[in-house]
Amino acid sequence: MTESLLQVSGLSKFFGEVPVLDRIDLSVQPGEIVMIVGPSGAGKSTLLRCINRIEHPSEGTVLIENVNMAGEMRNGKLVPDSSVTTARKRRRVGMVFQRFNLFGHLSAVDNVAIGLKRVLGVKSAEAKARADKELARVRMSPHAAKRPSQLSGGQQQRVAIARAMAMQPTLMLFDEPTSALDPELVGEVLEVIRSLAQDGMTMLVVTHEMQFARDVGTRILFMDAGRIVEDTSPETFFTNPSHSRAREFLQRSLRA
Amino acid sequence: MRGFDWAVIWYAVPYMLQGALVTIEISLCAMVVATLVGVVFGLISVSDFKPARAAIRAYVYFVRGTPTLVQVFLVYFALPRIGFELSAFWSGVVALAFNSAGFISEIVRGGLQSIDVGQTEAALAIGMTNRQSTMFILLPQSLRRITPPLTNELISLVKSSSLLSVISIAELTRSAQVIIAQTFTPFELYAALAVYYLVIISALSWLSEYIEKRLA
Repeated sequence: MTESLLQVSGLSKFFGEVPVLDRIDLSVQPGEIVMIVGPSGAGKSTLLRCINRIEHPSEGTVLIENVNMAGEMRNGKLVPDSSVTTARKRRRVGMVFQRFNLFGHLSAVDNVAIGLKRVLGVKSAEAKARADKELARVRMSPHAAKRPSQLSGGQQQRVAIARAMAMQPTLMLFDEPTSALDPELVGEVLEVIRSLAQDGMTMLVVTHEMQFARDVGTRILFMDAGRIVEDTSPETFFTNPSHSRAREFLQRSLRA
Repeated sequence: MRGFDWAVIWYAVPYMLQGALVTIEISLCAMVVATLVGVVFGLISVSDFKPARAAIRAYVYFVRGTPTLVQVFLVYFALPRIGFELSAFWSGVVALAFNSAGFISEIVRGGLQSIDVGQTEAALAIGMTNRQSTMFILLPQSLRRITPPLTNELISLVKSSSLLSVISIAELTRSAQVIIAQTFTPFELYAALAVYYLVIISALSWLSEYIEKRLA
């Protein structure tokens, strides 16, 4: 058995009494491109946010490369991490947000460099050089000196991807990366994600872009009401989904 | 104006200048202390460190809930009791700073918390600690929002310095009152006093506008 890069077991998240995630089990191997689809409110974003612990899960465990994201086991008991340790563990997981969340006071290149400088302690000149390289990869070099407010949504999202990739993560999480974009800007962002996939990056992508999920994904998770209802290949999911909720969802989203 | 005694003004203005200088000195010292302490307290108010957060909340509760005049007396009479023999001048600085730092810490906390939560999430996602996120991401972005209310607070500090006349500091208000006691012309002196404060505070407003433009 190959070792899982990501191992989620019994993961639940309650907001008050309401379970947003309901005992999720999931294991992801290196190189997998996992597309997460489903109706809004299904818990897709919350799943991603619990994996990198921006949201604290109510129950269950998340292991990334066999490291427990919540703390260390000692004598069969979980000793919770300090927030500083959590921050250190999070470095290996990159995240891209629906609303980009570029740092508003920094230029594109500084957005990419700041993590290298402040988190990894890379010297300024080297951080800048590495940031330039990451920006070139998302074809944003001509705009390196611009502030986020001077960039289009698609450009901002490409910088955000470069910012996450600069930390050399082993796992990338994309939380509806194109949902906030004007239709004509969606393609350039999907293109960048596709090229990362081709380079072998392991990723979880929450998306409403069904064609993209089918083309680029190696695996589809269909979530509904906090559970993974279907976990299958793109081919099977789009031609012959076994669950009725998945069939309804597909009919509605393909008609749109 | 009928009965306005200009002679008193010409007599009082140079004398009050000394008081004005004391007011400016005290205010500047208090501003520096209040801003430093206030910013640090504001940063702690958004940190994970619960006991310190609670202590600052209690301090702000006290500062907000008691008159500045009472605080001035408290500081003036309390400090010697706990072994700090300060001059009236420095008691005044401590009292003003004690008062203002509470409000400034709230201004800073509000400024930090007004920044979109997505900025914090993005900072955490690249592995920053809460402290790094506050210092490198939130604080720089909140400076522009903090400047206008901070200016208001510093202006109010200058005005509050007039209360220090009650602990026999020869500041601006006190210097006017001394002349009133000699000449019995309160209207003229308080009018001159108002103009003095207006000039000092105008200078401060101008400086703040300049800084705000530089931060833009």
